[in-house]
Amino acid sequence: MIELKHLTKKFGEFTAVDDLNLKIETGEFFGLLGPNGAGKTTTISMLSTLLLPTAGEICIDGETLSRSRTDIKRKVSVITQEYSMRQDMTMDEIMEYQGRLYFMPRKQIKERTEELLEFCDLIEYRKRRVRKLSGGMKRKLMVCRALLTEPEILLLDEPTAGMDALSRRQMWNLLHRLNEQNLTILLTTHYMEEAQSLCDRVALMNRGKLEETNTVNGLIEKLGAFAVDEMREDGVKSSYFQNRQEAISFLEGLQGKSTLRDTTLEDVFIERAGRPLERR
Amino acid sequence: MGILTILWEKWVEFRRDFYKITLAAMVAPLMYLVVFGLGIQTMSHGQSYLNFLIPGVISLTSMNGSFNAIAQNLNVQRLYEKALDQVMISPTPLWQFILGQIIGGSLRGLYAGAVILALVIPIGTGLVFNGWSILILFLNGAVFSSVGVVVSFVAKNHADVPRFSNYIIMPMAYLCNTFFSTEQIPHGLREVIAVLPLSQTSRMIRSIANREGVDFAGIGILVLYLIVFTALSMRFIYKKKNL
Repeated sequence: MIELKHLTKKFGEFTAVDDLNLKIETGEFFGLLGPNGAGKTTTISMLSTLLLPTAGEICIDGETLSRSRTDIKRKVSVITQEYSMRQDMTMDEIMEYQGRLYFMPRKQIKERTEELLEFCDLIEYRKRRVRKLSGGMKRKLMVCRALLTEPEILLLDEPTAGMDALSRRQMWNLLHRLNEQNLTILLTTHYMEEAQSLCDRVALMNRGKLEETNTVNGLIEKLGAFAVDEMREDGVKSSYFQNRQEAISFLEGLQGKSTLRDTTLEDVFIERAGRPLERR
Repeated sequence: MGILTILWEKWVEFRRDFYKITLAAMVAPLMYLVVFGLGIQTMSHGQSYLNFLIPGVISLTSMNGSFNAIAQNLNVQRLYEKALDQVMISPTPLWQFILGQIIGGSLRGLYAGAVILALVIPIGTGLVFNGWSILILFLNGAVFSSVGVVVSFVAKNHADVPRFSNYIIMPMAYLCNTFFSTEQIPHGLREVIAVLPLSQTSRMIRSIANREGVDFAGIGILVLYLIVFTALSMRFIYKKKNL
């Protein structure tokens, strides 16, 4: 279980994460959502100990995480937003370096590397240096590297950024399967469709503060499960309704082009991100 | 052992860039030896200037080799490649990461010094280099690797490392008992320069080369520098809030 207690991070006068309290259960697929600058990456950076909190603490399975707690860090793998890899190493070397950092036996590193690169269709590029890989290949390699050590907790910061639609789907399937094996996953993403498809629960952050934690369906139902999009001169205006009948009645009263559809997590996100934080 | 992982990483880098590393280690020191030692043929302290110069150039080469192997490389890993992120979250103890960097950097400095030594052997200078010389060069490399680690953590961007090199490392290369004796420097400044690690290394290497024995006080000074900069490196990696 991951527990963030009053987690705060300040950069000078700027508060990037403000008194964040969050509990993520073992085996849960949890999404951290919010607009740019919400504090998602800063939170992941504190979880990976790259940044130290200004206040508060992070507990993993009841133990406080710090840079010197190697026993806790062994449980965690992270896929960062940026390509965090030695650019002049080959794929094989990247995997071996990771395995060695986690004190894995050489034989196991070799076998797992083979298995993972094969799975991600990277095996034929294993001798290629990172700087010569495409963005999508680098992303896949980062996934292989993170899974090499068979972590209990996987931190994913925008894992599918830069991936084509097919690779993204493959990644979703992989993450889904991993989660079924009781891997705890914390995901930050800009793709609401991704969060909707994968996450059990999501937290909405805005300007460093936690706005709400809920299931995807819970958030959607709160806004209204049915959406009517009305095409107006100044753009599309969406209205949300708790039941279909209400939505249909509203639609019938409209003049001009309009459509009825199911509300998505993206609607929730746009509604939330489009207005300032109201209360805490 | 995490230190071995870091040494493995350094070995991968060395193997890949072997020719570049070797050439880079050779060019500047060779120029110094050719221009000041062979081109301008003078005497110094009752012996050929070349014999005075060689221990100094080997010392400064090991300093440059070690510092450059760590400062720039680690800074790029931290700020550009972001590869340090993976080390930070891994279970490898961070003190082992630091020690691995220091030992790896020191070995690179030792290699650079050995290349120059191999090049001057055919000249037949009669200078002596033994196990003590290797130990002192290793310590010198370790000191400047630890300085490199500190600089890489302090640097806010890629330009900061060459800047530090220009202001600190380059003046040391010229002033610290390498091209001329610190005795010729005015009082006040002389004492400051004489206590710097490269001055100590050059003096000790030269003393061994001239069969004048080992100065253990100099070794003690190098060890002291090593402890201070290693402690600083540890402090940065464990305590720096924003890496």
